[in-house]
Amino acid sequence: MSRKTLLLVLLMVVTALLALVPLASAQTPDETTLVIAQSVDVGALEPSLVGSRAESNIFNHVFATLFEIADDGALVPYLATGYTISEDGTEWTFTLNEGLTCHDGEALTAEDVAYSFTRAADPANAFTGNTVGFVFPSIGYLDARADSDLEVTIVTDRAQSESLRLGLISEVYIHCQDYYSSMSLEEVAEAPVGSGPYRFVEWVRDDYVLIEKVPDYTLRTANFEQMYWRVIPEASTRVAELIAGNVDIIANVPPDQVDAVNNSGSATIQAVAGTRRMYIGFQFGEAFAGEPGYDAIQNTDVRVALQYAVDVPTICATLLGTECTRASSMVNDPNSNPNLSPYPYDAAQAEALLDAAGYPRDANGVRFEITLQGPRGRYLNDANVVLAIGQYLTDVGVQTNVEILDWSSEYLPMVREKNVGPLFFLGSGGSTWSALYDMADLSAPDAGTNYTNWANAEWFELWDQTAGVDPEAERVLVDQMLEVFFNDPPWLLLYFQPDFYGVSSRLNWTARRDEQIVVYAAALN
Amino acid sequence: MGQFIARRLLQSIVVIFGVTLLTFMTLHLAGDPTYLYVSERASEEEIIAARKALGFDRPLPVQYLSFVGGMLQGDLGNSLRARKPALDLVLERLPATLELTLFALVLSTTLSIPIGIFAAMRRGSPADGGIMILAMFGQSMPGFWLGIMLILTVGLGLRILPISGHVAVLQPMLDGDFGKAIGNIPEAIRHLILPGLTISVFSLSRNARLVRSSMLEVLSQDYITTARSKGLGERKVIMRHAFRNALLPLVTLLGLEFGFLLSGVVVTETVFSWPGVGRLVFNAITQRDIPLVQAAVVMFSFLFIFLNLLVDLIYAQLDPRIRLS
Repeated sequence: MSRKTLLLVLLMVVTALLALVPLASAQTPDETTLVIAQSVDVGALEPSLVGSRAESNIFNHVFATLFEIADDGALVPYLATGYTISEDGTEWTFTLNEGLTCHDGEALTAEDVAYSFTRAADPANAFTGNTVGFVFPSIGYLDARADSDLEVTIVTDRAQSESLRLGLISEVYIHCQDYYSSMSLEEVAEAPVGSGPYRFVEWVRDDYVLIEKVPDYTLRTANFEQMYWRVIPEASTRVAELIAGNVDIIANVPPDQVDAVNNSGSATIQAVAGTRRMYIGFQFGEAFAGEPGYDAIQNTDVRVALQYAVDVPTICATLLGTECTRASSMVNDPNSNPNLSPYPYDAAQAEALLDAAGYPRDANGVRFEITLQGPRGRYLNDANVVLAIGQYLTDVGVQTNVEILDWSSEYLPMVREKNVGPLFFLGSGGSTWSALYDMADLSAPDAGTNYTNWANAEWFELWDQTAGVDPEAERVLVDQMLEVFFNDPPWLLLYFQPDFYGVSSRLNWTARRDEQIVVYAAALN
Repeated sequence: MGQFIARRLLQSIVVIFGVTLLTFMTLHLAGDPTYLYVSERASEEEIIAARKALGFDRPLPVQYLSFVGGMLQGDLGNSLRARKPALDLVLERLPATLELTLFALVLSTTLSIPIGIFAAMRRGSPADGGIMILAMFGQSMPGFWLGIMLILTVGLGLRILPISGHVAVLQPMLDGDFGKAIGNIPEAIRHLILPGLTISVFSLSRNARLVRSSMLEVLSQDYITTARSKGLGERKVIMRHAFRNALLPLVTLLGLEFGFLLSGVVVTETVFSWPGVGRLVFNAITQRDIPLVQAAVVMFSFLFIFLNLLVDLIYAQLDPRIRLS
């Protein structure tokens, strides 16, 4: 190729590239558009099939619920104005607002609310996920019926804590019967028609979901005309898009990129103490009898001693990139027992208590050996946190063998089958609206989420007493139970997992603690 | 040729069965996938019900045979997460991956050939040395790292190209909306450049070195000496006599190249939020969406077999000495 030809080709390439440059800013959203980036896509836009936070975040805008959990944890009316409870506590009757409609213009009445429940529960639909897999069994759901145009009754099999039941019912997304009964499951899963302040426009799989404001929606304020929920799986890419101004909100910012965002001038980090309780479980299951350390941790004094052995604030500051206060119970504030203070880090106290419990150091400096299992790739810096805890325990003479396992292929099945331990690291989602919700992990000795197989009789007797009592009596019982938990701990209490949100400087929005992204009230600065 | 094609297709059936069986066994080796489809607070009863609804309660041989039976009827099952036909999901995302892979293939091929020829013609010169060093770097750089660096420097630093995302051209074409497809081309190219470079750098570097070596070997042949001694200009010697023969190894590689590029798209599609099959399969594996993984594996197997067959046919056309029998 001659030099002239080569120069000509180079010139053409450069010109072509320069021609593309003015379009570089085309990705920045305008004042009417909000862009949120999540790390995963929705699996389906089916309101009865909520399987991830990514789905519930979008559904919170497209679908309304009977009541809603506000940012501060209060349960506030939404589609319903109020409710009554039958004498035996099994039937809850909600009264709806007048004039409600779905996005296709159909009137939303009590019949549609009942349908939303019965459709989810219909075995023919084979729904899995949060509604059918957790909410319905937790409230003891039996049926739903429309008593009039504006009154709908949810029928359950037992009385229950008012706040607990109301919060759980608030997780059921309401949709209209006419549309959903006329289409196949596959069709509606790609073209939802909702009842919330935003309506569905478009879904490009693994790229984005676009929703737009419903004109004249009165129940909630919607400040943006449209919202893009983009899918950006790689954390560095999400951060880059945030800093470039192409995205307004991102979640799950890695701690090592917090400074980059805060120094960018175009966005800041909001670090919130989430509601996910992180703990080390002590395994009581008899299947582990004979394992090294099993006998030791059956001793309450040993478990209390180990609480002093771990420096939780240092773990937060060095491994999680934020300050934290150690958890004093398994319940999120403001619902925890105010009389309980977190166990402080005091290695000397831990050693003294272990000596007193009958586990002195031997000639090798070891009190007893034990295995600590933990996951990789599920929680914030989980593997390193587990390694650090293992070292803290080893430092006080509990020789800890740490096993780090892949979350989805190894650890999760083991946890679900209660086959982890004798020590295991785990997180459990909590709430801001009900102490009993947080305590429901231990609702029964054989409860599915009682991964420790803890069987403290006093705890479970008190738990049974919480059904259907008034809020004041419930509070007394909760505080008693949390004292039992504190003094006979099935968990080595750690922290509430911090969540890091990146927020554009153009936006006025505050992140919630419960991992939900609710933005219809967000506004520009 | 007809016999050759028939024989290859028969062989491909065995390959596909083998690949699906291997995939099935590997996915199930990692334990019960049910737990990924239930709430973290699901009761034991709910887990059992979910296991039944998802079909995981059946013995593994029954599950696999059920899949094979469906496959023979063109039904590759429904995605567990999306609850729609798995093959539909794969085909839906295939155009995006094809756009990226073809762009990378064109980039690496069109650049590697002139670079390789240039280096061969200036063998031993500083230019040749420089190109070889760059090629070595290109082959050594991890794609994930390169992608992130391009995002930070070009996308975020210089702000001249998009950081992530996709603009479709193939899908509108397949939908018959040619106006939209053509209108999308400039924006689509802007979105293709960074991920395309990320995928193609390794191939470009390797192919440039291959073309250089192949060219050098061809240039040392007697017929090249004869061509020069006849008084032909160097450009004619290269383009008319040497080029075609030097290309043969590259053509052989191109069939495998596509498969190699396809395997590389998983990382690139994740880094650049490209909604292609690579990411779909990666997510399906982590979510243990077994029907979706199987459907993608079957589709990729067909694609790979078809491309290799095509390469063999092209090779036979390029080199009359080759007989497919």
